[in-house]
This record gives sequence, C-alpha cells and structure tokens, in this order.
Amino acid sequence: MDGLSTTAGRGYRQRIRQRFSKWVNRRIPPSRVVTLDQRRIFIFPSRVGLFFAACLLVMLLTAINYQNNMSYALTFLLATLFIIATLHTYANLSGLTLRAVRAAAAFPGQQSEFVLQIERGDTREHFALHLKWPESTESLVNLVDEDCLRVHLHQAVGERGWFSPGRLLLESTYPLGLLRCWTWVDLDLRAMVYPRPLASPELPGLASDRPDGAAIPALGSDDFYGFRDYRDGDSLRQVHWKGLARGQAVQSKQYGAYASRSAWLDWEMFPGLGVEQRLSHLCYWALEFEGRGEEYGLRLPGVAIEPAAGERHRERVLQALALYGKAEPPS
Amino acid sequence: MNPGQQIPRNALVWIILCLFTLVAPHAGRLPVWVLAVYLFAAAWRTMVYQGRWSFPGRLVKAGLTIASCVGIYLSYGSLIGLEPTIALLLTAFALKLIELHQRKDAYVLLFLGYFICITEFLFSQDLPMVAYALVNVILVTTALVALHRPGEHQFNRKTVRLASILVLQSLPLMLVLFFLFPRIGPLWTVPIKSHTARTGVSDFMRPGDISRLGKSDEVAFRVQFEGAIPPPSALYWRGLVFSRQEEGAWRSLRYYDIPPAERRQAPVATPGEPLSYRVIMEPTQQNWLYSLRYARSESPGVMSSADFLLFSPGVLEDERMYQVHSWPEAVLDPTLTDWRREMELRLPPGENPQALALARQLRAAAIDDAQLVDAVLAMFTEQSFGYTLEPPLLPMDNQVDAFLFDSRRGFCEHFASAFVTLMRAAGVPARVVAGYQGGEINPLNRTVIVHQFDAHAWAEVWLEGEGWVRVDPTAAVSPQRIEWGLEQAMQAEGTFLSDSPLSPLRYRGINWLNTLRLRYDDLTWRWQSWVVGFDRERQFQLLNTVFDGISARKFMLVLLASGLLVLGPVAFSLLWRARRRDTSEADRCYLLFCERLARAGVVREAGEPPGRFAARAAAQLREAGDEICRITGLYEQLAYAGDTSPQRQQAALLALRRAVRRFRSNPRTA
Repeated sequence: MDGLSTTAGRGYRQRIRQRFSKWVNRRIPPSRVVTLDQRRIFIFPSRVGLFFAACLLVMLLTAINYQNNMSYALTFLLATLFIIATLHTYANLSGLTLRAVRAAAAFPGQQSEFVLQIERGDTREHFALHLKWPESTESLVNLVDEDCLRVHLHQAVGERGWFSPGRLLLESTYPLGLLRCWTWVDLDLRAMVYPRPLASPELPGLASDRPDGAAIPALGSDDFYGFRDYRDGDSLRQVHWKGLARGQAVQSKQYGAYASRSAWLDWEMFPGLGVEQRLSHLCYWALEFEGRGEEYGLRLPGVAIEPAAGERHRERVLQALALYGKAEPPS
Repeated sequence: MNPGQQIPRNALVWIILCLFTLVAPHAGRLPVWVLAVYLFAAAWRTMVYQGRWSFPGRLVKAGLTIASCVGIYLSYGSLIGLEPTIALLLTAFALKLIELHQRKDAYVLLFLGYFICITEFLFSQDLPMVAYALVNVILVTTALVALHRPGEHQFNRKTVRLASILVLQSLPLMLVLFFLFPRIGPLWTVPIKSHTARTGVSDFMRPGDISRLGKSDEVAFRVQFEGAIPPPSALYWRGLVFSRQEEGAWRSLRYYDIPPAERRQAPVATPGEPLSYRVIMEPTQQNWLYSLRYARSESPGVMSSADFLLFSPGVLEDERMYQVHSWPEAVLDPTLTDWRREMELRLPPGENPQALALARQLRAAAIDDAQLVDAVLAMFTEQSFGYTLEPPLLPMDNQVDAFLFDSRRGFCEHFASAFVTLMRAAGVPARVVAGYQGGEINPLNRTVIVHQFDAHAWAEVWLEGEGWVRVDPTAAVSPQRIEWGLEQAMQAEGTFLSDSPLSPLRYRGINWLNTLRLRYDDLTWRWQSWVVGFDRERQFQLLNTVFDGISARKFMLVLLASGLLVLGPVAFSLLWRARRRDTSEADRCYLLFCERLARAGVVREAGEPPGRFAARAAAQLREAGDEICRITGLYEQLAYAGDTSPQRQQAALLALRRAVRRFRSNPRTA
C-alpha cells in the first residue's frame, strides 16, 4: 500500500503522527489508573458503518424510485438505528477503568507479559472489549458477570532498560459494529529489560584482580568443607556417621564451600569494552553463577551488591544491570 | 483467524433464522427450487459448523452462482423485471450463507437482509406485512448484536432484548424523518413488476369474467365521501368502457384506435354541487381508476379519457389515493360525433342472427329509443331469465343468441352484453361499462368498502337530448343485487363466497366478528391514507397545518429538537441509570479521598488494603501523614466495624465526610 508513497510523504505522515501523539498526550496523560469518560473516548463510524451508510443510500434510492413509503420508513429506521447505536457503543466503553498491574521483566527480544486490570464502574454489561498495544498480542474480553478482569498481553521487548509498550488501544464496536469506539491509554506500564547475556569464555583477570582469590570459576566438585550440627532437613548421606558411632553429637558434613567460592562480578573485569558489552558479560556471568547455585556479588560504578544467591538476589543484580545508566521511570 | 473475526455460534443460529424469516413473505412468488436452495445452504453451513463438511471451493461457488442465474432465467423467462431481480437477490442471499466465514461476510449478509425487508414492501405495504417486517428488522439486528458478543454459546434473552430496545429507540426519530423528509419524484426508471398477476376488472370482458371476480372477497378500493354517502343503488363505479366487440369479447378502444380529434373529452356542463370523495385503490397492475360519473380529479397522476373515465398513465403497482368530484346529473356527450356514433353502433358482422331479428322486431314496435330500452328490460323481467354466479358455459360463436334463446341464465356481463347487442342492432348507440356497483359502508369511519365481488357490468345508451344514460339490465332481473348487494342476490343460490369458507365476510351475522373486521378495515383505511398514501401533497398539507408554514429554519429546528428529545433520554437511561448505586456513602467518601491522593501523586494499587495504602501515602506526603491516617482510620471503623450503634456510625460518617472534604494536599510535598 505504501509502495507509492515517497519519502517526503512519509516524513509528512510522521510529522502528523508526532503532532497527533502530542495531542493525545495532552488529552490523556499517562497514568496508572484511567477511567474512561467523554474526554478519553473517541468514536467514529467503522468501515462497516460506512458500508452500512452506502447500503442506506441504496435503500433510500429504492424508496425514492419506487415511491414506496414503507421503504422510506425502513430506511429512516435504520438510519436512526445508526445514530442510536452511537450512544450504545459509547456506553460500552464509558465508565470502564483500566489499571496497570505489572509488567514482567524480560531479556531483549523475549516476550514480556503485561498485566492490566479492567473494571467497570457500573452494572452494565460490556462486550467485545478489544485490547492491545501496538505490537502486542491482543485480547477480546467481556465484562458480564464479573466486575473486574485481568488481561494478560504479551509483547517482545526491545533493548536494555525500561521498555514501554506505548499506548494501549482499547476498542469496541459493540453492539452493531457500525461504530468504532476507542481510546489510547498510556498506562505507564513499563517492563524492565535486562542486558542481553553475552558469553565470555572466562572471567578475565580474576586471579590477578582479586587478591582474595575468592571467585574461582572452576566447578570444583564437592570438596569437604567441615562439620556442623545436624539440622532437620539435612540429607542422611551428609550425616557424619563415623562421629556418631564414636559417640559424638549428630553432625552433618558440609560440602561445596559457598563462602569460599563467592565471586564478585566487577565492572572493571572487562577493561576496554563498551558499556553494553560489559553489562552483557556481567549478566551472562550472573546467570551462570545463579545456575550453579553459587554466591556472587556485583560491583558497578556507584552500585555494590553483596554476594548472595537466590531468586531475589538475582533480580536485584539483573535490575542493577538493566538500569545501569538509565533514568528511573517517571512515576 | 483473528478472534474478533470469528462468528459466535449464537450469531450463526440467528443468521440462519433470519434467512428463513426474510424469505418467507416472498415464498409464494418464488420458484420452489429457490426455497430448496435455502434449505440446502442452511444444511451445508450447519455441517461446516459441525466440522463435517468444509466451505465450498472457488469452483463450486462459481458453479452455484451460474447455476442459479440460469435457473432464474429459465423460471422467469428473463432476468429483467422486478421479480427475477428479487429472486436473484434472494438466491444470492442463500448462497452467501454457505460462504459465511468471517464477520465481514456476516455484515454483508445481514445488511442484505435489511434490504430484503425493503423488497417485501414493493409487493405489499399492508399493516400485517409491516408488522412482520419490523419483526424481521429486530431479528436481523439481534443477529448483528449476537455477532458482537464473543464467547456466548447459549441462547441469551438479553440479545433479543437489546436489539428490540435499539429498534424501539429508533422509532420516534424515524417518524420525524418520515414526515419531514421531502418526497421527490423517481430519479430514474426502475424495473417494474412483470410477473405479478393483474387484479380486478381487466380491459376486455368475456362471458364469465365478472362472475369469476364475484367469487373473490378481496378489497378493490375504499372511498370516503365528504358529505352524505349516496344510496348503494346509485354507486356505479365506472372503470372501463367497452365499445368494441371482437373475438367473442368486449374491449375498450385503444388510444391509437381513436382519431386525434376524438381523443379529447367533450366539454361537460357541471351544474350544482358535486359529490366529493377520496378513493384509495389497492394495487391492480392496471391503469384505470374508479369513479362515479361524471368525475373530475385534480390529484397528480390522474387523467381523464374521452369516455369520461379516470385513468393513471402508469399501472397501479402500489396503493393509490386520489380525490374526485362527481356530478351524477351532468349530461355526457349531448351530441355524438359521426365517428363515435359509428363506433358505438358497430356489431361483429354475421353473428347472432336471432338477436338481430329480435332487435328489428322490437324496434318496429317501439315509438322511440327510450321505449325500446324499456321493452328490452321488460323482456328480461317478464321472461324467465335467471341471475346466477355460476352461469352455464356459452359456445364461442353467437354467444348472445345462445344466452337469449337457450341458456337464459347469466351474470351481469351476460345481460349487459346482450342488452348492448340488441340496442346496437336496433340502431341505438350503446356500450358496456365495467366497474363495481355498490359497496359496504363501514359505520366506524363512514367509508365505502368496495370488494372484488362488487364487480359489475352494465350498459350506457345514448339518447337524443339526454346524452349517455345508464341502463342496468341486471337490475331488471335481480333488483336485490343493486339494492342490497351480491350476498342478498345469491341468498337462494347459496353461492356467495362459497369457495372461500374462511372469509370473514361470510360471517357478517356474528356481531363481534363483524365489528372486528370493520375495525381492522378502519385501521387499514387510516394506514393507507396517512402512511402508505403520504405523498408530497399530504406532506405539504401536514407541515402547513402543524408548523404553520414551512421554512428551512423551522425544518432544522424541528429536526434538532426532536433529535435532542430522543437522544437525551436514551443517553440518560444508558449512562446515568446504570451508575453503581450499591456503594455505600463511606465507600464513596473513601474513593474521593483516594482520587485526591492520586492527584497528589500517590495512586492506590488494585486491591491494596487501605491500611497499607495509608502507610505508603503517609511516607510520601509527610506533612499530610496524620490526616491520611486519621481519614483511613475513620473509614476502616465505618467499613469493618459493623457492631457500632447507628448514632456512632452516623457521627463517624459525618466526620469522614468533613475530613475528606477538607483534605487538601499539595502534590509532591514530600
């Protein structure tokens, strides 16, 4: 369709789009909760509506040419139906509240899940609410028996940092399909995008840079570490049976010296590389350590996260990597 | 496929239902195979829905399309004309169902459905038809609504309800548009009905034609007089004049049979006050209009012929209303032109020798023409002539002889024909007039209902000094027919409407049934005169009386005002009434409070408990922290402590309301 449009035309179109989005921003400012009212709802005949109007014209011509009063009446009835449908279509969106719930963090190129909640502020039934971000999957929901509904939409995210899916389109042509009623809402819902993990063959300069030699990447097998008092949940294989036999208290053998292996992932480990590449390598190694279940810490200029392991730690580390050098999202 | 493009099961069921209700009124006019196509299409689409069959391929579709075009051509003999066009449309409508795949197909199908409602009106605009069409419109609208309710697989009453509400809400504005929209003439010629049967009196008359009409109880036309209604015996509704006799039938003169000099009506003196009346004719597919003699009409599209008849240049495809003034006493054609005299005396050569002999005999006995007329009528009265709805068949040749000297039983056309033949043979200019005689007076609205069984044929003879004089030979044989109508005349014979046992006219003896019938007829009259017959003239009249003159400004004003009057309440009922009323006063206060906080930059998350939200808000808006906690405390006390006394609750509510009202927080004070 755009095959014929020139670059000048495209530029013009872009300018219009920019101006339009500015206008929409003024009219519907970003917010985590938006209740739809006449300021935020747009309504216009749909393509089907225009086709219907053409059909009405044919009917009117039939009525005129056959001088048939009942045909006139039916044509006018349908024309009025068109007008009445405007109110019904508008009412289908009016009073709905959209609420940002959460956006899942993701790696670049992955699908992130955006969750929002749609609520009705009235007792009416709302049908065929079509929700989507410009590039996301779409969802078609009804609000009939329940007062609110969570909608999950998926979209591939872009590069590291905060990813905003843009303005959410909520549209409906209910009840007759003749009119399209829609709104663009900026729900201020952003997904965090981690750096793209980039493998590096080894953690360079570990031995020399880290005098404590704590971060030994090699996976030494279960080296014996020491004893500790038996706790509930320790494997029976860990029990120090020999000691028990000698009449000592029940002790467990400890393997896998986490503490001794705790590694610091440091910004300075990758001298001479660009910011994104460094972050990518760090991300790779953080994931690597997390996968092995070893403790690791992170040092970035201005950020230091003490070595630890676990889901929450991983999230902290990845968040720090994702947001390094990025401004906080305006709340 | 895009989920928004799918057709919900409910919508499919509604669409198939619509298909059949829409074709039903056309069923009688369609070839049977078209109805078979409907069943076939519905079956196919159902099989597709069940996953047993698949949608037709391109070749199959093309084959079906061509086959139906050929079928229509073979059934109708052409593709031009209203009926073949509509049959084609209806076949396409059924075939479209088979390829109903996506929502956009459904739109095409349903909008076509609306159009098919209109095509029904081209054949009938009667009240039952209109009511049925309204049901159809609601059904099509229901299908449209169902199309936009994804995921609904059970029959839902609310779908029909919403569609009905939509249509009902559209009615008031429809009426405004109907009465205000300027009626303009046809923009171009459109296919006319080519296969619809002509009804009523036709332009030629063979023995037996009128008696066949005598068996129909359909309404031919209705008349409303401005003054008193003349007695039924004076109501001779002239429709056609038959001056030529050929091939055993009486025919009217065709336009090009008449020399140009004779085409214009001779001037007629119109003494005294005329009878004024309004006629609404049912569609006949013919040209002539019925009137009492001597009729003049100023209604548009009504013309007068040299025979002093009214006619319409185009055939009557729909109901037609016209206003007439009649002067029953006017003298028609005081002098006859030579051509006219020759035409009105002409007899087919060599036919009916016995009748001609009889005529010569009577001529010799009579002093003048008037006495001759009396002599012939006396013959009908005195000799054993019988008036019957079931006359014996006459031979093709010498029909008048066979009637006068052999069968002697006949209906009005036999008597009229024999009388005119005798008159012409005796040298008196005479002709047959066909139309209706009498009519039933509806006491509810003072209209005269003329039925098909009132069809009648009589004669006009030209007498020196009196012009054309009406002579009704039937009156000589059966005076009841003229005074009381066909039912009384046929009482002994028992043949009145014997073929239609369900006709309500047969049960005029049952009082309530008769009242019901007359009420319905009254409704039909009003419907036809105000709605179906609403034309430019009536519109002008109405707007002039209601709005005291028409101007563009008033026009727009009325349109706007009525629009607001209708849309306002609809919007109110939709948007206002549905507002949630089940939130308590305390909830509303708290929500207002949350709104104020949101404006200050602290937004309550979905489902966040008030306590936690308060803590968060207080942390962000430090100097308002105390107030936030106090308000939240008040709200929690009201919302969750149900055991307090009403007085204390009232007090707490008051405090909450006051606190919320006073609560102001500067955004981002933290």
